[in-house]
Amino acid sequence: MSTAGTTSRMPITRQALAETMREEASIWLFVAKTLTALFVAGWIAMRVDLPSPSTAMITTLIVANRQSGLVLAKSFYRGLGTFAGAAGAIAMVATFPQQRDLLLVALSLWIGLCAGGATLYRNFKAYAFVLAGYTAAIVALPVIDNPPGVFDSAVARLSEVLLGVLVSGVISDVVFPTRMRDVLRRTARDQFAHFIDFIRASFAGTVPRGAMENAHLRFVRDAVTLEDLRSSVIFADADARARSNHLRLFNQRFMAASTTFQSLHHLINRLKRAHRERAADTLVRFYRPVSDALDTPIDAGVAARVLLPRLVAARNGMGASRATLRVELDDAQDLRDFDTGASLLLRFVDELHDYIETAASLQTPRVIAGSVERVRFDRGNDFLGAGIATLRTTLTMLALGVYWIESAWPQGAGALLNATIFAGLFATIPNPTRATWDLTWGYFIGMVLGFFCNFFVLTQLEGYGLLVAGTFPFIVTGVALMASPRWAGLGLGWALGLVYILAFKNMQVYDPAHFINDAIAQIVGLLAAAVSFLLIPPAIGSPWLRRRQLARLRAQVALAAEAPLPGLRHRFESVNHDLISQVAAQTTPGSVDSRALFAWALAVHETGRALIELRHDMARRGVPSTLRPYLDGALRDLARFYEKPDVAGYLLARDAVATAIAGVGEHGDSGHLIEHLHLVRMALLDGESILAAYMPDAPLSKEIAHAS
Amino acid sequence: MPREIAFGDALVPGLLVFFVLALLAMWVFDSLAGRFGLYRFVWHPPLFRVAIFVCVFGAFALFLN
Repeated sequence: MSTAGTTSRMPITRQALAETMREEASIWLFVAKTLTALFVAGWIAMRVDLPSPSTAMITTLIVANRQSGLVLAKSFYRGLGTFAGAAGAIAMVATFPQQRDLLLVALSLWIGLCAGGATLYRNFKAYAFVLAGYTAAIVALPVIDNPPGVFDSAVARLSEVLLGVLVSGVISDVVFPTRMRDVLRRTARDQFAHFIDFIRASFAGTVPRGAMENAHLRFVRDAVTLEDLRSSVIFADADARARSNHLRLFNQRFMAASTTFQSLHHLINRLKRAHRERAADTLVRFYRPVSDALDTPIDAGVAARVLLPRLVAARNGMGASRATLRVELDDAQDLRDFDTGASLLLRFVDELHDYIETAASLQTPRVIAGSVERVRFDRGNDFLGAGIATLRTTLTMLALGVYWIESAWPQGAGALLNATIFAGLFATIPNPTRATWDLTWGYFIGMVLGFFCNFFVLTQLEGYGLLVAGTFPFIVTGVALMASPRWAGLGLGWALGLVYILAFKNMQVYDPAHFINDAIAQIVGLLAAAVSFLLIPPAIGSPWLRRRQLARLRAQVALAAEAPLPGLRHRFESVNHDLISQVAAQTTPGSVDSRALFAWALAVHETGRALIELRHDMARRGVPSTLRPYLDGALRDLARFYEKPDVAGYLLARDAVATAIAGVGEHGDSGHLIEHLHLVRMALLDGESILAAYMPDAPLSKEIAHAS
Repeated sequence: MPREIAFGDALVPGLLVFFVLALLAMWVFDSLAGRFGLYRFVWHPPLFRVAIFVCVFGAFALFLN
C-alpha cells in the first residue's frame, strides 16, 4: 500500500518540478525579450536622433506580453490610436492656436469622448480609443506655448511609438515566440471535449441545479476566453486569421447548444419534481440514442467528424421512436409534456449537429475559402455608462488644467498628462482604484531607484553598452514582476516610472531639482486619477451598471416578443451573448451577482427562444383570427413582466399564458403552437428559477403538475 | 520617386510612403499565404515573414533616387 503511494507520488513531484521550471523559464524568456526590445528600441531611437527615445522604450514596455499574438494585437491598436490622436491634436491646435483655455477645454472634451467610446468596445479596441485620447494631450500640451511646433511634435510622437511597436513586434514574434495558436487550438478542443463529456454524463444521470448552473457558467466563460483569444491570435497567425469566421461561428453555435441543453435539463428536472415520472422517463428513453451516439472516445487524435454520422443516425432513430413512445402514454398531460420535451430535444440535437459540424471543419488542415457564413454580432452597449466615463475623464482633465493654469506650476503638464492617461486607461477595468494604487506604488519604487541609477551610476558611465549594463539591475525586477498576475500592475509601474524618469536622450541631462519636481508631478497625476475614480466611480463593475445590464437582459424578452421577425433569432442570440460575456468579464466567478445574472440569463433565454419559435410558427402557418388576441395578449404580458418584474405582472403573464394555452386547445388545428406556450408556462412556474421571487405563494408541485 | 514628398505642403519622407506600401503588399501576401496554408511548408513562419518584408521593403526602396 505504502509503496504504491510513494511510487505514485514520485512522478507527481517530478511533474510539479518540471511545471515550475517551465513556468520560470517562460518568465525569464519574457524578461529577456522585453529588455532586448526595450534597449534595441532605445538604441535605434538614439541613432536616428528622435527627440525622446524614452517614448519608444516605454512603448515596448506597454505592449510587452508573454504571448506573441497579444503583443502584435496591442501594437496594432496602439499604432492606430496614436495616428488618430496625433491627427486630433493637429486639428485642435490649428483651431485654437492662441486660446490656451479653449484648447484645454477642447482637449478635455476629446479625451473624455475617447474614454467614453472605449467603454463601448472590448479588448484592445477599447485601448486604441483611450490612446487616441491621451496621445492628443501628449502631442498638444508640450507645444501649448508654441503652436507651430505641433506638426513636428505629432510626427516625433508617431515615429517613436511606431518604432517601439515595430521593435517589440519583431522581437516577440521572431525570438522564441510563444505560439498562441496552440493555446487557441487547445482551448477550442478542450471546450469541445468538455461539453460533449458533460452532455454524456448528464444524460446518464441527473445533475442538481447548482452543478448544472456552475457547468453552464464555465461554458460561458470558456466561450468568452475563446473569443478573446481569437481576436488576438488573428494578428499573429495568418492561418488562424483565415479561420477567424469559422471560430466565431463555432462559439456562437456552442452558446446556442449549451443553453438549449440547459433548458432541456431543467424541463426534465421540473417534471421529476412534480412527480410526473412517466413523462420524464419517456423523455429519458427518447433521448437515449443521443447519449449512445456521443458515447465514443473523443481524444485529440480523433476528429469530431466521427460523431456526425452517429448523430444523424440517432436523430433519424428518434424520429421513428417518437411515435412508438407516444403510444405508450395515455394521459393527456403526459402527452403534452412529452411533445414539449421532444421538440426541445430535437432542436437541441440539430444545434448539436451544427456545432459538431463546425468543430469538424475547424479540424481539417485546409480551410475552404469563403465557405462559412459571415457572423455579425450585435452589441449590448450601454450609452449611459459611456457618458459617465466621458464626464469623469473630462472633469479630471479640466480640474487639473485649471489648477495648472492658476498655480502656474511648471510641471503641471506632466501631472495633467499622467492623470489623463490613467483615468482613461483604467476606465474599462473592474477595479480601477486598486489598479491605480498598484501602479502608483510601482512608479514610486521605479522613480526612487531611478534617482540612484541616474545620479550615482549613469554619471560614471560612457556609451550605450554601459548604459544598458548600468540600468539593467534596476529594471530587471520590475519587468520580472510584470510577468506575474498578482504584481503585474506594480511591475509595470516600476518599469514605466524608471524609464520615464531616466528620460534617455542623446545628451543626457543631470538635474536633480528638475528630476524631483518631475517625479512629484507624476505621482500627483497618478493620485489625481485615483481620486477621480473615487469621486465618480466607474460604471463598469458597479451595482448600478449591473442593474442596468440586468434590465437590458430582461428587455430581450420584449425584443423576442415584439421586434420584427426577420433576423430576430440571430439578433436575440448575439445580444444575449454579448451581455453575458460582459457580465462574465466584470463579475468574479461564483459571486452572488454573477449567479443572479446567469439565472436571469437562463430564464430570459428559455422564454425568449420559445417566444421567437412561437412567432415563427404563427407567421408560417397562420393563426385563426379568433385565437390571435389570446396569443398577442400572452406575448404582451410576458414582455411587460420581464421588462418590469413584480408580483402583479407575474400573475398577469401567468394567466395570459394559461388563457392562450386554453384557447389553442379549443382550436384543434393549431396544436403546433402549444409546445412553445407550454415551455414558456413551465419556465414561469419553475419554483427553483429566479422567477420564484415573484410568485405569490410557494409554488406547489400540484400547480406545476397542472401547468399543462 | 523623390526622396521627400509634399503632402499638403508638409514634407514626408519617401521612405515612409514606401514603408506603408510595403506593409500593404505584405498584408496581401500574408492573407493569401494564410488562406492557402503556405506557411505549413515553412519552418519558422514569423522569421519567414520578417525576411519577406525586408525583401519587399528593400526592393521598393530601390525606386528612390
